[in-house]
Amino acid sequence: MMPSAADCRALREQLSPFVDGELPASQRISVERHLASCPTCSSRVADLRAGSGLLRIGLELRVDEVDWRDFTKGVMARIAPAPVPFAERWRVSLRELFTYRRGMLATALAAGVAIIALAPVLLRSPAPNGYARQTMAVQSVSTNPDAHVAPVVMAGEHGNAIIWLVSHKHVLEGKAPYEESDGVDNGTSLPLKVDQERKKEGEL
Amino acid sequence: MPTDDLILVKRARDGDQRAFQTLVERYQRKVYSVALGMLRDREEARDVAQEAFAKVFKYLDHFKGDSSFYTWLYRITINIAIDILRRRGAAKGEHVELDENIQVDSAEANIGALGSRLGTNPQKSLLRKELAEKIEAALQEVPEKHRAILLLREIEGMSYEDLARTLDIPKGTVMSRLFHARAKVQKILSTYLDLDEAKSGLGGE
Repeated sequence: MMPSAADCRALREQLSPFVDGELPASQRISVERHLASCPTCSSRVADLRAGSGLLRIGLELRVDEVDWRDFTKGVMARIAPAPVPFAERWRVSLRELFTYRRGMLATALAAGVAIIALAPVLLRSPAPNGYARQTMAVQSVSTNPDAHVAPVVMAGEHGNAIIWLVSHKHVLEGKAPYEESDGVDNGTSLPLKVDQERKKEGEL
Repeated sequence: MPTDDLILVKRARDGDQRAFQTLVERYQRKVYSVALGMLRDREEARDVAQEAFAKVFKYLDHFKGDSSFYTWLYRITINIAIDILRRRGAAKGEHVELDENIQVDSAEANIGALGSRLGTNPQKSLLRKELAEKIEAALQEVPEKHRAILLLREIEGMSYEDLARTLDIPKGTVMSRLFHARAKVQKILSTYLDLDEAKSGLGGE
């Protein structure tokens, strides 16, 4: 018995999922029964299949025309942009530095100036160990006016100083001071006053 | 056996660019094909396909893995293509209709026009360049969201379940849009084949 037009209309929307294999089993069986006795709907199914194939192949033809060699490269270039030339990288970095990090820049400059200013002090060779480790310089040496000695200051090679106290008595008597004392006249009261300033490496 | 998509995604997420390149090479033809079907313009289609992959890479960390990688990739591709179509429409001052309000032409094609000429294996048929162009033109007559479903079904062979997930619509909507999209394309192609047959005798196996 030929199905009615109403049957065909009711089934028409099911033909597309039927062709795609997406109909539940019960509906699929009922469509298959209908198709077995309906040449019109069978033609519709053939059209659907042909149309799908045509569309697929038509687009494949277009895709075959594409040169795929650089496609992936293009994608990767979008992901990781090409490396920026060295000079350009510096230019951008400096621009960013002057635009956004002025505070940091000023601090860095101040630190640089301080380092340059302190460099001679920091780079100076360490003082010798022992008593003379302190850094000092002899500014002046004087004696009590009543003492019969005269100070003699001799500067050493490395900024150190040797102080001789010369007895007036020995001078007057024409004796060499070292005949009685080794550098310092112990027999004489020595109210020696030495002004010191911690400025320069030296030895007293 | 090819490495599973999700394994490649995990490797790419860990910084393995080669793994991501493998994913690109695996899907580039189909993604391009979908983009071309949506836009018709080859340069734009290539740009959309590359942009889709770049976007996927950018948001790899957001990919949860609870859906297939390819449904996610196609969703991004379709969204980029639809944005372009809308910009095109806006630039031309065209009113972009909301998909559900589009009046679907449900008039039938000349029944049997395609099947009788092409059989079940259209590859055997004489498929000429002009016919490929006609197919592209026919696709442009289909509303954009219907077109997206048709392309994903025909090119990727997506199940209705995956189509629903990719486009975030109910399965019933998938079925309905697919039916209307096919009816429209068939009508255009059968008319073309009728005319063409009259002119040159194309058809038959």
